[in-house]
Amino acid sequence: MPELGRLAICLALLFAAYATGVSIVGAIRRRRHLVRSGAHAAYAVFALVVVAVAILLRALLAHDFSLEYVAAYSSSTLPVQYTVAALWGGQKGSLLFWAFMLTLFTTIVQVQNRERNRDLMPWVTATLMTTAMFFLGLLTFVTDPFERLPIAAREGADLNPLLQNYWMTIHPPSLYTGYVSASVPFAFAIAALATGRLGDQWIRSVRRWSLFSWFFLTLGNLFGARWAYEVLGWGGYWAWDPVENAAFMPWLVSTAYLHSVMIQEKKDMLRVWNMVLVLLTFSLTIFGTFLTRSGVISSVHSFTQSGLGPFFIGFLLLVLVVSGGLVAYRFPELRTAATVESFLSREAAFLFNNLVLVGIAFAVFWGTVFPVVSEWVRGVKITVGPPFFNRVNAPLGVALLLLAGIGPAIAWRRASPRNLWRAFATPVGAGLVAAVALLLARVPLGYAHATFALGVFVLGTIAQEFWRGMRARQAMLHESAPRALSRLVGKNRRRYGGYIIHVGVVAVFVGVAASSAFRVEVQQTLAAGQEVAAGKFTLRYEQITKQDDPHMSRLAAVVSVWRDGRQIATLAPEKRFYKKPQQPTTEVAMRPTLTEDLYLVLGSYDEESGLVTLLAYVNPLVSWIWIGGVIMALGTTVAMWPTLAERRAPAYALGAARVPAD
Amino acid sequence: MLEKRRFIVGAVLIAAAVSYLIYAGVRTTSMYYFNLDEFLSSREAHADEDLRVKGWVRHGSVHWDARTNNLAFELAHQDDTDPVPVAYRGVLPDMFAEGREVVVEGRYAAGQLAAHQIMTSCPSKYEPAKTGS
Repeated sequence: MPELGRLAICLALLFAAYATGVSIVGAIRRRRHLVRSGAHAAYAVFALVVVAVAILLRALLAHDFSLEYVAAYSSSTLPVQYTVAALWGGQKGSLLFWAFMLTLFTTIVQVQNRERNRDLMPWVTATLMTTAMFFLGLLTFVTDPFERLPIAAREGADLNPLLQNYWMTIHPPSLYTGYVSASVPFAFAIAALATGRLGDQWIRSVRRWSLFSWFFLTLGNLFGARWAYEVLGWGGYWAWDPVENAAFMPWLVSTAYLHSVMIQEKKDMLRVWNMVLVLLTFSLTIFGTFLTRSGVISSVHSFTQSGLGPFFIGFLLLVLVVSGGLVAYRFPELRTAATVESFLSREAAFLFNNLVLVGIAFAVFWGTVFPVVSEWVRGVKITVGPPFFNRVNAPLGVALLLLAGIGPAIAWRRASPRNLWRAFATPVGAGLVAAVALLLARVPLGYAHATFALGVFVLGTIAQEFWRGMRARQAMLHESAPRALSRLVGKNRRRYGGYIIHVGVVAVFVGVAASSAFRVEVQQTLAAGQEVAAGKFTLRYEQITKQDDPHMSRLAAVVSVWRDGRQIATLAPEKRFYKKPQQPTTEVAMRPTLTEDLYLVLGSYDEESGLVTLLAYVNPLVSWIWIGGVIMALGTTVAMWPTLAERRAPAYALGAARVPAD
Repeated sequence: MLEKRRFIVGAVLIAAAVSYLIYAGVRTTSMYYFNLDEFLSSREAHADEDLRVKGWVRHGSVHWDARTNNLAFELAHQDDTDPVPVAYRGVLPDMFAEGREVVVEGRYAAGQLAAHQIMTSCPSKYEPAKTGS
């Protein structure tokens, strides 16, 4: 069976090469049948990759330990959901999974565009299939997921206990979906450059795809943060690890694109800039994959060198050279005459927002590659840690939040004093009142204070937009308030979906600012019955409990939590000692509320004296990060949802991309 | 034209602000990242300065007191040669074990590394942990 999987991958590689070749020849010579043949070959690539994935999955589920991959990442006692997750738990499997997603999206794009974008599609196919060739080539020649062990193992080494976690089943697939779907806008961008059709056509075709990719990058990042928070036990959710940065950078650039593309659609400006952002987003996904797999930059995720680095660098260079060359070649045609008319305009606000977002991305990039660069330049490795990223990004984040309040409310082209007054009097007033109220509530001046006050300002502009839109409909169409509101959103999904996303962003900002600035951290060694104070909580260590089963032994410290003389909870942070890969893990105990999370870790336990060391963190407003994530997801769904007109119209009449199944 | 100039000034200001933040951030927060050999050859020059050193936890060198949370061990090459004593007070990281690769962040003074953070490597997400050494 596994040999069949290998065969499927080899064939897929051949078909992908064929699809690339005939698509390009068909496009240049204008041979419709060649282009169609290329599209069919792309379907075949998908089918073959599905076969390969199915075979690997079957081997995992059947515990076929004659396969190196299965033996390395699963065991016969691993729960079934993690056995499935082992598909993306190791390097080889994750590359196969990547190829699977890529060919799946290629197929969806082909189906969507059967009757559309005839001029662009051969180039889209060629670009996506070239990318597929890269991954299939790695799987064929460098790192074979179907490699057999010389002697079948009797038992698997099992998945790393840290990965045996609920989030393992959804965090990597979300991130991969976001990463891989960024290939679709990239492919359309390349097609637009190759054909010289640089107008709105390609942008409209990938509008939903870019939003889709951004949606999953957002989820992937937040799931990752949540995972780190729940599992790693250091009290935080984001450590600026290179691998986290790798997922954050494409998100930032993609966010910039989603904003600046609106200016292109409205004003036909920024064509070069938008093109560059799309190309850069894709390049950063490849760079991120390179970071996690090369071992060039040390990270908790990737200490081992795998030898794949040079291939990724090679592919990245190819992408950059081809993209850069095409942009340079089309540069005269890409330029447009339109310019920003006024400093005080929505265009300008969006542009500054773009600069700040790209600036943050650059700062993160610089901090991430700094050790490598310093080694090249000065011969010594110099690292920057979380303090660097926090210092640089806090002011930029505050600037971004300010722009998020200005952008949606300020007029296009040129804001008159009257417009400014009308748009900002109330929100700015609300922000100032909040700033003073916060000072009175003894929130010290600083980034957190600024974030809270600006958050109120942003929410003010958004609320005002909703309110005015609703009132206008009520006045003109005599609709009831709820009906006016739902129609308002329904008719302008992208705009109001965007506002809802901003509400979520404010929640995330507030959560991040509060938990960074006002976190309380206590470490204390206690005997049974002793107490320690953590913020407004008093923690009393009651006793230790022990449990032993064949899989692991568990040590739990029972801690009662008191506040104002009343017991409000009992928490039991644990240490677990897994028996198969012999390794202790930390099981955090948490009491999350809307105002703060009490987060307990059992640091250590001394058998002889019965003393335990507890780590307690009081993290204010962390819940709002996750709530903000949910709001962002809701807003994105609203923005992506097809409008009524789109749903009724036949697919080929539409400009926007759409999954035919809905 | 005036508007355009104003706009360029705005963009330049943002770029300058980002550059300055990066520059200042690097200046105040960066530290050397040495492997053990680099550290051994230059440790005197970098005494009393925050730095990171990568090495392996020497077999048989770990002394851990769960009552006081004092950890003492030796950072060495993978084959246990060239040991450097490390002192740390705090909770033992889960992944910390003899023979593991670790990165110690701290200061070198009086012949030992006073660590304020010990970073352990995941036995890797992408490659199977090698058993034995």
